[in-house]
Amino acid sequence: MKIIKIFIVALFLIFGPKFVFAQGELSANDIIAKSRLSFYYAGDDMRAKVLMELINKNGQKRVRELTMLRKDYAQGGNQKYFMYFHRPADVKDTAFMVYKYPDKDDDRWLFIPAISLVKRIAANDKYSSFVGSDFTYEDVSGRKPEEDTHTLLRKEILNGTDCYVIESIPKGASEYTKRISWIAAMDFLPLKEEFYDKQNELYRQFEAQEIESLNGIPTITKRVMKNTKTGHRSEATFQEVEYNLGIGDDTFSERYLRKAPVQWIK
Amino acid sequence: MAFILGIAFIGIQEAGAAVPALHGFAELDYGAKVSDDNTQRDNFNLLEQRLQLKAMYAVAGENYFAEKSSVLNFKGDFTVDEYFSGKTDFELREFDLSTTPYDWLDLKAGRQILTWGTGDYLFVNDLFPKDYVSFFIGRDDEYLKKPSDAMKMSFFPSLVNVDFIISKFEPNTIAEGDRLSFFDSFQGGIAGTNSDRDLLEPPLQPSNLEYALRTYRNSGSHESAFYYFRGFDKNPTSYKDEAARRLFYPRLDVYGTSFRGATLGGIGNIEFGYYNSREDSDGSNRLIANSLFKILTGYEKDLGNDLKVGLQYLYEQTLDYGNYKANLLSTDFVFDESRHLLTQRITKLYKNQTIAVSLFNFYSPSSKDGYVRPAVSYNITDQWKAAFGANLPWGEDDLTEFGQMKKNKNVFVRARYSF
Repeated sequence: MKIIKIFIVALFLIFGPKFVFAQGELSANDIIAKSRLSFYYAGDDMRAKVLMELINKNGQKRVRELTMLRKDYAQGGNQKYFMYFHRPADVKDTAFMVYKYPDKDDDRWLFIPAISLVKRIAANDKYSSFVGSDFTYEDVSGRKPEEDTHTLLRKEILNGTDCYVIESIPKGASEYTKRISWIAAMDFLPLKEEFYDKQNELYRQFEAQEIESLNGIPTITKRVMKNTKTGHRSEATFQEVEYNLGIGDDTFSERYLRKAPVQWIK
Repeated sequence: MAFILGIAFIGIQEAGAAVPALHGFAELDYGAKVSDDNTQRDNFNLLEQRLQLKAMYAVAGENYFAEKSSVLNFKGDFTVDEYFSGKTDFELREFDLSTTPYDWLDLKAGRQILTWGTGDYLFVNDLFPKDYVSFFIGRDDEYLKKPSDAMKMSFFPSLVNVDFIISKFEPNTIAEGDRLSFFDSFQGGIAGTNSDRDLLEPPLQPSNLEYALRTYRNSGSHESAFYYFRGFDKNPTSYKDEAARRLFYPRLDVYGTSFRGATLGGIGNIEFGYYNSREDSDGSNRLIANSLFKILTGYEKDLGNDLKVGLQYLYEQTLDYGNYKANLLSTDFVFDESRHLLTQRITKLYKNQTIAVSLFNFYSPSSKDGYVRPAVSYNITDQWKAAFGANLPWGEDDLTEFGQMKKNKNVFVRARYSF
């Protein structure tokens, strides 16, 4: 995997200027596919401490703090996630594990420490809320590009960054009926997304508020999802992000659900 | 226990100022009783304050336990129980040391909660101790599981994983008449404080240790397991001395298997257990429980919009029932040969998953009894949580599992502050 990446970087260095030029010719499908890889598949693996603030329209705040581990098995393919909760107090030390498959339902496991129980979680609803936030499971782990029909609407400068503006219409049943994405031409990170409902009204809005280059990988370190109908919003801050740590496959197992992998969870 | 204390002492000394953070909760529980019976109190069966403290300490410093990623874990509950006129108590729920001596081995020694198997409130191969009094009066689910004093060894070779547990016998906590009324065969019906049974536990000696083994393997979205248990029935099902009203916990071996995985857009599970009553293996002794088998199957599905449903079916059959019947005395109560039990769970979350509304229902068409558990909980803030619900066991007969509990119906409220 690393060799392939080095090869791609080398190609980029050699053919860089032409490549940037060539981007102008990218189709909407290519842009969405690249965006998915740069957002959900950055590095071969990742560790981050995620602070999520869930804020209602009156400004009341709830806090979720967790350590997240991710390992990719193929670019755009299978992934495994491990999440260990630090806050709030009533879910502290709870661990959650997901095997993500692009072509079928996830496998999800939850470890509830108070009763020492490893529970399988039924997971066929990818639009359910992730830990009570405005992010859905799909927002957290991605969506296959083939599930929507994509159209490049225009190119636009958003907050000083060149963006492709793409409209995505689901081919099958979906939570939204239309999604508009602003994708940075430079690194393909999604800077803004708007989700529209059946009445063609905006109901959710995503914004990448802070982007940093970490281990040479452009990373959205602060993202906000706002439910424009209820006024509820969720702000996720990614701290201590590290890539390519060589997280072992065995970390994503019942063993480490029951006994937190202290090497990764500090 | 002294050994763990020693490690704790060494660990904390070496760590110097690093004191592990203390977490837990304080709560108040009140359960008003709906029906009248012969227990100590007529108007409530739950009124208590509880303070739970817990701390985890990853052993630090230059020592063997730090190198082997060892973690010390403590959890204890202080309670003031108004049911027993303000009796104060401390329950040590967890105090254990886990360590990883080798890549392929985890050890956990001390007081710990042990759980395995695939059921939801139903247990086939999980023979670890439970507290059914807590369950029926509406304490948090956490208290259905009782701690065990045990040594757990988990082996992780490449093909299958193996858990092997050696533990001290700890009986289930069951209704005894003071707080919850139940069917007492010596009293000839549902009894309260008039019950005067004597429950005889196996004395603590090497030959009375219990052994539990599980081997399990995950392949893709499916997981299968085999179980073996050698120990004692956790319920006092058998008679030592009828005249003295003395019951005991007979020796029991259980062999079982389970399978769980993605099925029909949800999670399906099936679990089987064969219970060998070692002191009455042909079923001819009317004083000792017979062998039996249990088969459990379940299905859970996420219907979207934070709505989940779960269904289970449990079948239990007493073996050598002919021998049991043939040896009964004319004055004995006769228990059924088999039992069918259905359960259903519905959970719906509202308001960004801060409100949970759930209904769990046990129903046995063969015993003509059941147990309805509706509950609503609300996470008011990250710290404050309120819950209320009800425990409604019912039944046509007095001697069935839920029928005997029918006078214990309650409605409970709980307020908890977590920190």
